[in-house]
Amino acid sequence: MFRHTLAAIALGIAALPAAAQDFPTESVNYIIPFGPGGESDITARFQQPHFQELFDEDLVITYKPGGGGAVGWSQLNSLSADGSTIMGINLPHIIVKPKQGNVGFQTEDIVPVHMFHYTPDAIVVRADSEFETIDDLIAAAKENPRQVIFSGSGKGTANHLAQVRFDEMAEIDTTYVAFDGTGSSTTANLGGQVSAQWGYTTVGATQGDEVRLLAVAMEERHPLFPDVPTFAELGYDLVSGAYRGIAVPQDMPEEMRHAVADAIQQINDQDAFRQKMEENGFALLDVAYGEDMDAFMAEQAEVALEAARSGDVIE
Amino acid sequence: MLDYIGLAFTPLNILFALGGVAAGTIIGSIPGLTATMAVAVLVPITFSMDPASALILLGAIYTGAIYGGAYAAILLNTPGTPSAIATTFDGYPMAKRGDGDLAVSIACLSSLIGGLVGASALLFLAPPLARAALAFGPVEYFWLAIFGLTLISALSTGNVIKGLIGASFGLLLATIGISETSAEVRFTFGSNTLLGGIEIVSALIGLYCVPVLMDLVATSDRHLDKPEEARGFRLPEAFAAVMRNKVNVVRSSVIGTLVGALPGAGGSISGLVAYSEARRSGGGEEKYGEGNPGGIVATESANNATVGGGFIPTLVLGIPGTPPDAVILGALLVQGVRTGPTLFADGSNIVYTFVFGLFLATLLMLPVGLLIGRFAYGAIVQAPKMALVPVVAFMTVIGTFAIRNSMSDVGIMVVLGLIGWLAQRRGFDVSPIVLGLILGSIAEKGFVQGWTIGDAMGNVWGQFFGRPLAQVVIVLSVLSATYPAFPWARRQLRLRREAGPTATPPPIAGEPSSSRARAFDAVALAVFAAVGVVIVMQSGTLNAEAAVFPRTVAWTMLALIALASVRLFLLKRAAEPGSARGLVRVAVVPVAMLGAVALIPTLGFVTGGVALALVLMAAAFHPGEGGGRITASVIGVVTVVFLVTLAFRRLLNVPLPSGMIF
Repeated sequence: MFRHTLAAIALGIAALPAAAQDFPTESVNYIIPFGPGGESDITARFQQPHFQELFDEDLVITYKPGGGGAVGWSQLNSLSADGSTIMGINLPHIIVKPKQGNVGFQTEDIVPVHMFHYTPDAIVVRADSEFETIDDLIAAAKENPRQVIFSGSGKGTANHLAQVRFDEMAEIDTTYVAFDGTGSSTTANLGGQVSAQWGYTTVGATQGDEVRLLAVAMEERHPLFPDVPTFAELGYDLVSGAYRGIAVPQDMPEEMRHAVADAIQQINDQDAFRQKMEENGFALLDVAYGEDMDAFMAEQAEVALEAARSGDVIE
Repeated sequence: MLDYIGLAFTPLNILFALGGVAAGTIIGSIPGLTATMAVAVLVPITFSMDPASALILLGAIYTGAIYGGAYAAILLNTPGTPSAIATTFDGYPMAKRGDGDLAVSIACLSSLIGGLVGASALLFLAPPLARAALAFGPVEYFWLAIFGLTLISALSTGNVIKGLIGASFGLLLATIGISETSAEVRFTFGSNTLLGGIEIVSALIGLYCVPVLMDLVATSDRHLDKPEEARGFRLPEAFAAVMRNKVNVVRSSVIGTLVGALPGAGGSISGLVAYSEARRSGGGEEKYGEGNPGGIVATESANNATVGGGFIPTLVLGIPGTPPDAVILGALLVQGVRTGPTLFADGSNIVYTFVFGLFLATLLMLPVGLLIGRFAYGAIVQAPKMALVPVVAFMTVIGTFAIRNSMSDVGIMVVLGLIGWLAQRRGFDVSPIVLGLILGSIAEKGFVQGWTIGDAMGNVWGQFFGRPLAQVVIVLSVLSATYPAFPWARRQLRLRREAGPTATPPPIAGEPSSSRARAFDAVALAVFAAVGVVIVMQSGTLNAEAAVFPRTVAWTMLALIALASVRLFLLKRAAEPGSARGLVRVAVVPVAMLGAVALIPTLGFVTGGVALALVLMAAAFHPGEGGGRITASVIGVVTVVFLVTLAFRRLLNVPLPSGMIF
């Protein structure tokens, strides 16, 4: 439902004729609330040259890591709201984290203006794994409860919530081991420390023939993996992943919020950008500020919070 | 393969390598500016280059930055990057006695050798080493962290119990903030300042550098002994020192390469492990920890070998071996180069061009590093105290800010510095605290993950003790923990053999400590005990996964404190109070720095920095020490503050607060 048509955006622009000029009017500081080298950083780097080309202004990427993003997000609304600063946001992080304790911000404090892509969850096994299909894995898990062990990135994260939800859908009981990132979770899987990995499509893009994806949590198959089924095809209603987008400080006026969303959408509309994203295993998303965003956030929050509760991540 | 040498060594690429090494060395020498940041800043510039040149530039910067970390370690007792922690152990004592120039040259030669070994491994052994590294699971990383911690028994020869208490404190510091693996907010006491946890580099700067600054202002003694005459690079002496450490340099380079190839470890650990091994097996003319060149040789060859080693999983598996590798990996993706298993298999020319570029950068490090090292040494030895203290203090503030663009980190840095200074005066070395802090998160992750896997398999014991690789690391840890006792045991055996059974044990030497010293020690132990009690109580509110590690460490710490109390009250032993000279001046340093933290957001970085510098100049001013140069010093210091701020803003894109004024 959140797959979005260009027509809607065109309508949005038509309604606000002045919006296109509001942003960017100067060099824009793009804050990534993580360290350099992660997926948020890489996709920002993909956007950077297009931004400069389209708008003739610099997009300066800076980092404010700490607390799995919480340090950056807790400071977002104290930043300048004149269009000189935007910040990367991630779901389900900004939905789940505030429910885990005092992390300095609430989900409602954050103003998302555009969600531009996601890394779909996927079950990844080594090339020499005994699991050829998802049914092999489910059978093994039914035979030996808890002994099918997944590595994954973090707790209360996209990987973890996907594991919780899939366990419920397939009526199995597996073990999830949290690693501190996709890199170390992949290492554990490649080294045979675990039976499989709850990873992302991007892992398949990096690892090539070393790994096999059993299923991807997308609505349609990923163009990079035409032979890998979606969970939906296999009878499991699972579309999930780490969703990334852009948020702005609360004080930014409505028109400018639309203008920022429009700028990000224009980058998303570049063929070269789409191609580079897909080649690296990302999946594009065009959810812009407005009713679409409200509906998208509401739906994501409902699903994520329910999974987080059953995964004992929140109360 | 040799064709690629031609491709790598084009004039343009040589220029990039040269510039990269020089820039990296300078950036790495500034505490707070790490190799990760050096690389991240330059990534956008490389977008317009062809991929091979871009990689050569990034690799050169990385190599230079790791070496540059040695300067501050040797000359200021402050590791410029976490990789250089163990360089301080012998480098600073050497500099203290006037051999700073020699130490810098030794560091340069060792880095060169380590870098070449690492690059060779990358060239010839990358795929098999990457496969081998995968055998390292969570449990092995846990034991590797424990192995690193055993270095404490060697580092704190004076008082192992106090060392272990310090290490426990460090381990607990590492658990503050939002836990990445258990999704719990721990020990922040509701404060947003602590949300992000304690950043390791800023903690290093605080714990090592702030106490040095505080001691510097106390007296008018020179910071480092100054040679009577210029002595050049002392290259023959440095070369002889490295030759005396032939085995050491080879062993450390191999350790550095192997640890680098482990994606979960990194440069700081490789340096520590190499140092620990050098110390264990090394005789040598001087004791380790008191200025033995072998300590520098071990650490610096290991950390530069880690550069090449870290590229092994980065290029072969597409999994970054060290944090800077993660940034370079991202840059490669943007360039359209897909790393991972196919890259080496295809014999893709970019890999070989890059590896030869890395060799080139490493070789260029010798002349570049010696020259810049000479300059750094000269600047620090020549500078009058009233210029050195404010400039270094300002650099620690701006450098710490730049790590995460966070003023909170600067505040934490200063507070840790104060804690470090106080702890040192009570006989608690900072190095065990730092070891605990660095290894804490690796140990905790490995422990919880290993436990979860073992529990699911119904075999926790087998998971931790049954795996062959884990057993090897365990044996090494036991050896490393107990070897300081070997000479003592041998002496006991010999005594018994020579003197027969009638020999009486030697009486315990020394007088009981003064009651004042004992009272101070009791207070210090009480403070640590309070920390332990708070952690135990707070752990009760956390989920089991998040609580198990801090609770275990806190109970261990309390047990150690009980032991230390027995020693204090029964044997009446305590650390003698340090010199009480200049305590007012000493207090000015942390107070002024905290003041700067409070004022900079409103005043702006330049204004706040200048104010900080002027206050510290006054604190460091001792009549008689270069009194005539006051005006020149003030102008010099203010200029440095201004130019450094400008460079951070414009060249490094650090969003320094400019406040109301500047």
